Amino acid sequence: MTAVARLEGVGFVYPDGTRALAGVALELREGERVGIVGQNGSGKSTLVRQLNGLLRPTEGRVTLFGRDTAGVHVAELARTVGLAFQNPDRQIFAASVRSEVAFGARNLGRRGAELDRAVQAALEAVGLEGEAATNPYDLGYSRRKLLALASILAMETPVVVLDEPTTGQDARGVERIQRIVGSLGETGRTVITISHDMRFVAESFQRVIVMRAGRVILDGPPVTVFAAEHAGALASTFLEAPLAARLGERLGLGTTPSESALLDALAAR
Amino acid sequence: MRGWSGPLGMLAIVLAIALAARLGRAMRPYLLATLPLVISILLVNTFLYPGATDRILTLGPVSATWTGLAEALQATARVVAFALSVALLALTTAIDDLLDDLEHRGLGRRTIFVIGSAIRTVPRMIERAGEIVDAQRARGLDTEGSVWRRARGVVPLAGPMVLSALSEVEERTMALEARAFSAPGRRTTLRPLPDRPAERALRWGLFLAAVVLVGLSVSGRFPLP
Repeated sequence: MTAVARLEGVGFVYPDGTRALAGVALELREGERVGIVGQNGSGKSTLVRQLNGLLRPTEGRVTLFGRDTAGVHVAELARTVGLAFQNPDRQIFAASVRSEVAFGARNLGRRGAELDRAVQAALEAVGLEGEAATNPYDLGYSRRKLLALASILAMETPVVVLDEPTTGQDARGVERIQRIVGSLGETGRTVITISHDMRFVAESFQRVIVMRAGRVILDGPPVTVFAAEHAGALASTFLEAPLAARLGERLGLGTTPSESALLDALAAR
Repeated sequence: MRGWSGPLGMLAIVLAIALAARLGRAMRPYLLATLPLVISILLVNTFLYPGATDRILTLGPVSATWTGLAEALQATARVVAFALSVALLALTTAIDDLLDDLEHRGLGRRTIFVIGSAIRTVPRMIERAGEIVDAQRARGLDTEGSVWRRARGVVPLAGPMVLSALSEVEERTMALEARAFSAPGRRTTLRPLPDRPAERALRWGLFLAAVVLVGLSVSGRFPLP
């Protein structure tokens, strides 16, 4: 798989002197679904903001498709990396769901039929196709969050970054986001998600990156990261493996990070 | 010519307190904030003081005068003394303490809420504005390009600012009600403010001094600026 984004020795210090990242080296590949976890303040949000230039590394460099991002405008990097923020109310301004979703795609230069198709596909992905003409503030919080997600999907960027997409979502909403993450991966797009929801991460991502104090301390598939031997490392950044993994461990079934893995292991016994 | 004693005396007091409280460095941004005003005061007074004839130099149609310069420096001292005394209040007084104390002295709860939320809103607005700018730039809004391109970003940037502020009003109202905001009766405080007799005496002293100064000044016995 080709490298979509590469971080080389990336460090970041905020203007007030707080160090948020130190020596981060990562390669994110095409079609990869990556979950980033870690306690609050461990540098997850700072890390993903390096990808689209909202923050620039104070040490090291970030390349997208082999091209150094230094000196490239954020508006230009947005063609490659779409970032959906945690709080939808920090971006919603349009009078209708449709024009809100179209905003990003329009900024990237899409017009006419191409724009309509991208907007329609994004609305269908989040299940808001029946609300295209609705005022965004007539939707509840969880649906506004899906709207914000749709506005990033409509940009059809090769890299999609989601910051805490599942907060405020009920089981059906989480399932919907899992489906979106899955289908993005299938179409060869790279999905990077920050989350505190270990179950969601274990179920939907092939690769889990664990951060603590601005460093990557674990990086691997869920079956490795959520293995019992790493429980100490996870606990050091105030995380706990998902219930399925802990249950499998207690039952002596090995590492079963997802519910289907746990059920399979149980059935096989 | 008005007096120098007022502004310079005030400056001396403010600076002495600032140094004693080790706030010298923290005062710098407040000082810088007065710069635009100070520059315009200096230029306007020095060059355009009406009726002054003691020229220093002439630049085309306008000339700088000593009278104007002296007037400008005095006005500058006044503005800076005023700004720094406000800075001193902001840097030394915890807003919560001030509001608690005001309430204890019988100021209405609603009035205090209005004062408090006005003060506390500013840092929150700045933070929110930063998040909005980030979110729209991540969607390809050009904030680095030409002026014309940036002008198109006004609605996407101002929109969420206003809309989210409005949508938070109801939530805030309910949160306040849930904490018995409109409950009748006087509230007690868990956190008594330390108020030493010396401080109280000093406050009264300052208040009386202000009254006396204003009185003397109004009656013409001690003309102040």
